[in-house]
Amino acid sequence: MLWNNIVIAIRNLRKNKVFAAINISGLALGLTIYVFGGLLVEYEESHDQGFKNTPYTYTIGSVASPMLDVGVDRFNAVFMAVGPIIAAESPDIAAVARTRGIEYLVSTGIESFYENIRFADPEFLQIFDFEYLYGDADALLDPTGILFTESMAIKHFGKTDVLGETVSFDNEFDFHVAAVIKDVAANTHFHSILSDTGLGVVAPVRALNRLRDYDADAGDWNNLSFGDITYVMLPESLDQAWLQSQMNSIYERLVPDSQKEVISAFEVNRLQDANTAVWDMIGLPVIGVVSLLSLMILIIACVNYTNLATAQSLGRSREVGMRKTMGATQRQLLLQFLTESLVIATIAMVIAIAALEVIIPLFNNATDKIMTLDYLKTLPWLLLTTALVGLCAGLYPAWLITRTNPIEALRDTARKGRKSSKVRSVMIGAQFAISAFMLALVTIVFMQNDRVKEGSYIFPRSEIYTIDRLRVEGISDKLPTLRRELEALLNVDSVAYSSQVPFEQNNSQLGVSLQPGDDAGEFVLMNMRMSPEFLDAYDIPIIAGRNLGEEVSNDKQTDDDTTALNVLVNELALPLFGVTRAVDAVNKRFYSTDDDDGTSREFIVVGVVPTQNIVGLFNREKPWMYQYVPESFRIGSVRITGGNIMDTVENIEDIWNRVIPDYPIQGRFLDDVFEDVYQILRLMNAALAGFAFVALSLALIGLFGLAAFMAAQRTKEIGVRKVLGASSLQIARLLVWQFSTPVLWALLVALPAAYFGSRTYLNFFADRIESPLPILIAAGLVAVLLAWATIAGHAIRIASSNPITALRYE
Amino acid sequence: MLKLHNMYKIYQTDEVETIALNGVNLEIAQGDFVAIMGPSGCGKSTLLNIIGMLDNPSEGDYFFFDENIAGYNESQRAEIRKQNIGFIFQSFNLIEELTVAENIELALLYHNMPSAERKKRVNSVMDRMGIAHRANHMPGQLSGGQQQRVAVARAVVGDQPLILADEPTGNLDSVHGQEVMELLRSLNKEGTTIVMVTHSPAHADYAHRRVNLFDGHIVTENTRAA
Repeated sequence: MLWNNIVIAIRNLRKNKVFAAINISGLALGLTIYVFGGLLVEYEESHDQGFKNTPYTYTIGSVASPMLDVGVDRFNAVFMAVGPIIAAESPDIAAVARTRGIEYLVSTGIESFYENIRFADPEFLQIFDFEYLYGDADALLDPTGILFTESMAIKHFGKTDVLGETVSFDNEFDFHVAAVIKDVAANTHFHSILSDTGLGVVAPVRALNRLRDYDADAGDWNNLSFGDITYVMLPESLDQAWLQSQMNSIYERLVPDSQKEVISAFEVNRLQDANTAVWDMIGLPVIGVVSLLSLMILIIACVNYTNLATAQSLGRSREVGMRKTMGATQRQLLLQFLTESLVIATIAMVIAIAALEVIIPLFNNATDKIMTLDYLKTLPWLLLTTALVGLCAGLYPAWLITRTNPIEALRDTARKGRKSSKVRSVMIGAQFAISAFMLALVTIVFMQNDRVKEGSYIFPRSEIYTIDRLRVEGISDKLPTLRRELEALLNVDSVAYSSQVPFEQNNSQLGVSLQPGDDAGEFVLMNMRMSPEFLDAYDIPIIAGRNLGEEVSNDKQTDDDTTALNVLVNELALPLFGVTRAVDAVNKRFYSTDDDDGTSREFIVVGVVPTQNIVGLFNREKPWMYQYVPESFRIGSVRITGGNIMDTVENIEDIWNRVIPDYPIQGRFLDDVFEDVYQILRLMNAALAGFAFVALSLALIGLFGLAAFMAAQRTKEIGVRKVLGASSLQIARLLVWQFSTPVLWALLVALPAAYFGSRTYLNFFADRIESPLPILIAAGLVAVLLAWATIAGHAIRIASSNPITALRYE
Repeated sequence: MLKLHNMYKIYQTDEVETIALNGVNLEIAQGDFVAIMGPSGCGKSTLLNIIGMLDNPSEGDYFFFDENIAGYNESQRAEIRKQNIGFIFQSFNLIEELTVAENIELALLYHNMPSAERKKRVNSVMDRMGIAHRANHMPGQLSGGQQQRVAVARAVVGDQPLILADEPTGNLDSVHGQEVMELLRSLNKEGTTIVMVTHSPAHADYAHRRVNLFDGHIVTENTRAA
């Protein structure tokens, strides 16, 4: 019986090749996306499974208080001071390890490369059981010992057998290689999206004593960066809830009050969530969205199938009637039709898997991931999905066609067609609702991203060549020479040094007040340290007062920090002084409140600049202060105008190599700085666009098939209408309208949903597109026009056919 | 009213060429009632379709009110058809999704007529056909005879001078068949020209003229005194 059913199913597919192709390809497309999405989510959520201690290891995160105001809700990091406290407070804990990533120039004496060094407590190597090629897990106990990965060793030395070799950081501090480990797999949190530095060189945290006079044992309460993770490994007897309560207690008792204003709580997360935590932190539920979107695609595909199958099954009511007349029960027939849909689902799944075998390697290649389709592991899931899809998609048409009594089934198909057409309309509506929703969303995301990009052009992005990594002893004292030489270049307009350049996601801030000695926190200024040329290089005008100068006393920060420092502020800082006109802020004084030791610095405003969004992207405009502090210069900005830009860059590199031969130049255009952060937005947009495209294609395929079918069903009616004098245009309009109604209803649901959905994304940005309403309407219009275009072909063909052909149907 | 001259209709399929009409000459005057008879496949329906401008002849001339429309395209033919011809089919061809009144109104829908005027004419024709009490029923709820009355009503509501009936009684029992024939006769008496294809000699007797068709030829024509 079953075999008989399968044979009939395959024969039916052969008979209606076009419909079968539409059915199967739609379902295969949906399954491909769904399975791929599922694999991707599974891959992203199952990082770090290769380490044996992963189940017992947790990371400590910080919940940012609203006052911090950096556009991020949570960090997967804590201040370096927290780690030692945890270890001291809870002797039951198996191990605590802090890490911090800092870039250094690593030289073997022959070659030098800038590397992101991961400074870690020695316990780091207890928690993670790396595979050692040379050396062992004691490598970090010696403050001058460092650990290399295999590929990093090859990069620097050309070989892996480098135990005991000496390398220097910034040409100044010597280390010896104490261990070489196998490369860490790509599916670990070390390679997660926002901090994809991998793991290359690990050095002891204690080395920071020597490198930057940092009290590593005590840590600090100042610096909080993504990826600077503190790990806690628990013995098997303790769990996450216990650790969380420990952390709550530590927060209450031991975090300084000034820091409680920045961090409102500690948060314990499982290590295996560290990879995806990045998305939660910036407040974009990307993983959840991927799951949801791929499920939506699958639903569209299923609805598509149901719809077409329902329409087709009407043509088979005679067959059903005959079978019933000859004694088939409804159950047997139901089974027959469900077998058919299961066969189709299976074929679609096989095609989907074949497609994934092609797609996954390509995707891995493009993204440096190591996703696999592990048949053994995923088989139950794949089978279940196939069965569910086959059953869900096939149940309605099977039920509809088999429930009628045989006489009715034999006699009249038209009326049944009418009854089920409502359900079909609802299903078309559902498909279009989902795809219009996605289309609208993707458009809003695109427009918002575009706005972010537009906003970035207030700075001459393509004309600024930045030179990073200047805050090194061997470089800082040569900066004046470098500037002189660079400014002499033909096409170089100006050269400025600063603590940061636009679009860098730094948030150096300072609490200030009008009275010395006030409590912290009333007014926060963002803090830009720069040379006076900065305004020139970035086209920032002075709207009141004057720029800082080289020769004016107190304009430039010196070792003596008891005298007042002259600074510039932007217009957003005016409320601090209770004035509204920029000119009224000049000569106003204010004081820092930041230091815990109670000392406060005095500042005098000498000039006001317009408000500009320096950090850009999703951050909002903030009050800024501009100080001339040479010791904070980290990055240079060379403004290039005219001439061949690449030639000029070459000249800049030549000068660098002559003035600072010991260090390689770290130059790139401001464009690239922007792209660094922007690419993640663009990536999301592209992924979303992909989903929307697939969803819309599926909906249109479904509509196409259904329109073809319905046009055939209405052949007689159309013939009659034509005989009675309806023109082709009138007929076409009739058919188009029939399918437009559900599409229009769908928009009514989808567009408001997209409006609210898009707010999740828009809320992420400070500077938002004005109103997504026109965009929503445009997206809806596109969906309707595409639907019309899809139906119109059929409608016109049917409408212009000879009425005789239509009526000969009898 | 209309004149067919040396008319051929040839259906070309992949392998065979079927000659449905083989040099037909026929003239029908205004007020005539013509019955076309003949065995299955002799070309009756083809002839009726060409007269009804639903199809074009392969060869020959078709003068309709002295206008040769043989080469007209679909939309030109549709325009003339709309103004001049009403149709009645064997299988009624009512639209299942529309009520009786809506089915009848359909014939006026494409005539640029204001809604009120349409309603008035539909009501009046339903009264005449004795189906007013069925106005809001669906075709599926009516008997065959009633359905054909609706079809006749639809054919006459536009006041076209010519009605083409393709086996109008073919699907009806004798009582209902006779009813429909009486309807047609009274229409003819009021001045409507009627061309009817039928298998039934008894129903053919209602006509003034009988045209016998065989293998695409007109073999005999009998005229009977009215």
